[in-house]
Amino acid sequence: MNVYIPVLIALGFGVALGSILSGLAHFMGPRNPRPEKNDPYECGVPKVTGATEKMSVKFYLTAILFILFDIETIFLYLWAKAFPQLGWFGVIEVMVFMTILVVGYIYVVKRGALEWD
Amino acid sequence: MFDLPLFLNSSLLSIGVFHFFAAMITIVSLLVVVSQHPVKSAVFLVVDLFLLAGLYASMDSHFIAAIQILVYAGAIVVLFLFVIMLLNLKADSIKGLRFSAPEAAALLISFIGFLIMTFNVFRGQAPEGIKGGFSIEAIDANGGNTYMVAMRLLTTYIWPFELASMLILLAIVAAIVIAKKDKILKSLIQKELR
Amino acid sequence: MGLTMNEFTVQFIATLLKFAVIAGLCINIPPIMVWAERRVPAFMQRRKGPNRVGIFKWRLYGLLQSAADAVKLIFKEEVVPEGAAKAFYHIAPVFSVFPAIMVAMAIPYGPDIQLFGYTIPLSVIRVDVGFLFIFAISSLAVYGVTIAGWASNNKYSLLGALRASAQMISYEIPLGMSLIPIVLLYGSLDLNTIVIAQSQIWKWGVVLSPISFCLFVIAMFAETNRAPFDLAEAEGELVAGFHTEYTSAKFAAFFLAEYVSMFVLSCLAATVFFGGWQIPFFDIRSLDVLIGIPGVSGLVGFGVLFVKAAFFMWLYVWVRWTIPRFRYDQLMSLGWKFMIPIGLLNVVVTAIVLAVIRF
Repeated sequence: MNVYIPVLIALGFGVALGSILSGLAHFMGPRNPRPEKNDPYECGVPKVTGATEKMSVKFYLTAILFILFDIETIFLYLWAKAFPQLGWFGVIEVMVFMTILVVGYIYVVKRGALEWD
Repeated sequence: MFDLPLFLNSSLLSIGVFHFFAAMITIVSLLVVVSQHPVKSAVFLVVDLFLLAGLYASMDSHFIAAIQILVYAGAIVVLFLFVIMLLNLKADSIKGLRFSAPEAAALLISFIGFLIMTFNVFRGQAPEGIKGGFSIEAIDANGGNTYMVAMRLLTTYIWPFELASMLILLAIVAAIVIAKKDKILKSLIQKELR
Repeated sequence: MGLTMNEFTVQFIATLLKFAVIAGLCINIPPIMVWAERRVPAFMQRRKGPNRVGIFKWRLYGLLQSAADAVKLIFKEEVVPEGAAKAFYHIAPVFSVFPAIMVAMAIPYGPDIQLFGYTIPLSVIRVDVGFLFIFAISSLAVYGVTIAGWASNNKYSLLGALRASAQMISYEIPLGMSLIPIVLLYGSLDLNTIVIAQSQIWKWGVVLSPISFCLFVIAMFAETNRAPFDLAEAEGELVAGFHTEYTSAKFAAFFLAEYVSMFVLSCLAATVFFGGWQIPFFDIRSLDVLIGIPGVSGLVGFGVLFVKAAFFMWLYVWVRWTIPRFRYDQLMSLGWKFMIPIGLLNVVVTAIVLAVIRF
């Protein structure tokens, strides 16, 4: 638990620095708001549509696939850490694990889920 | 590398840390549920998962703590945020105290679970767990937390490990089927129209 | 186990000192990099670049322009766009800055030094999970971007944020995968152990696993949203991406986060692939005895790592002015269809070759 004391210090400093910068912006500068100035930037023309349009489902799919492959990477890290002790047994074990996932990966590619059109 | 002096390294301190994290997690979890705005809920969820990682870290489960942040806070809540933005969810209006049948059932079940847990805590009987004789010192002497987790997972728990890959495969297929459903439907409709 | 009070005090003060030095470094990286980003392209395009601002006669090649810019940014007016989600708008820079600062503390900046009979490691954070800590914390940087873009109530911001976050998470996988062969080779997740193992040039990560290095460098550019992968702020289409609506010190905060994470990834690349604070054919740790001043090895090691990291920082600028921007579909297919299979194959081949040699 004690190795996390520096982590706490770093976290505290990081949050403090971010807050200070955010706060400086709020309190240091001049302040003359005008309706035109406060409009969301739209290259000089009045706002046409709202900001929150519906987004492509691709982003959602990317996020899901990211989670799954992220978990896979973490499993591989665990194996890599114990690689010298596990020897061939570990290699074969992970090959089986990876083969199953490569099947999934090929399915993803074949179904065109990675195409951005 | 970095250690507390003896007088601070007591069990009292670790109990204090545990209670601090437990209290914070409870408060932030409540904020997740109570927040009106879905994005606000998601941000509180990140903080919640971060605190949970802190709880694991305070128990010297370094690997679980890192994974907690990497997978839950860094990946899964990103997905939640994406979905919230995709669907353009707005703040909920207050519904009052009316529940649909599934909501009521979920509330009832969680309330019963809460009662069982509280009962057990006050009876002084923790749920039976595998102790295994792993003290923090023994783990550090045997190559550290990450190494021990790796060895356990890849030898003792080899079948769950391999099954996890099947689970991930299923999830991949499911995700694509759901995401592509609209497209398949559209092509079907177009065929019908022809 | 508990230490004596004395040793605890020494370690605690040492931690605070190291922390102060590295934090100071982190805060000074953005101005210097801004200067480099103006002078290097000027040099490439045969112009002068900023060279006027100075104190009296000393102009320092325009270095003080950055200082002037920093001061200017703080005293600029803050414009909060109408309809912005105020709380999120103000908190997004915090979410961006703190992961960058935290990961900077986990890099070993030099060998363990012996001072007054105590062993002091030259990295602030050293946990059992090693560089997984860096990945874990830096994965939180997505929130700063996403929340900033969403809270600004501007369609360019939102689009930029979605693009940036999808890109960041997509390239996190190749980034993670590219370092698995390194763990296989050196058998450790701890960065300092990896550095110590790279004592000779033929033991460097770049020599033993060049494919990992290529994957890492590409993923490193994409992860920090830098050219040629700077689609998140493609100024022709999206104005400035997720920080379109940010002004003054808040804009500076995003800048700080970007440059610090660039610096950390540069340090990580130097540490993992180029021997970190080690130089080939000479053990820096013997300098203490050779010269007779304790702690001098730490300074030299820090200098060596800094030079190596500076090379990667310069590479960032060089690439920015050399390679044109990718299209978004090209970017995503490069990540998912090219780098992930190559990364997996790299892991498999490394593992099998190592297994044949060792077992």
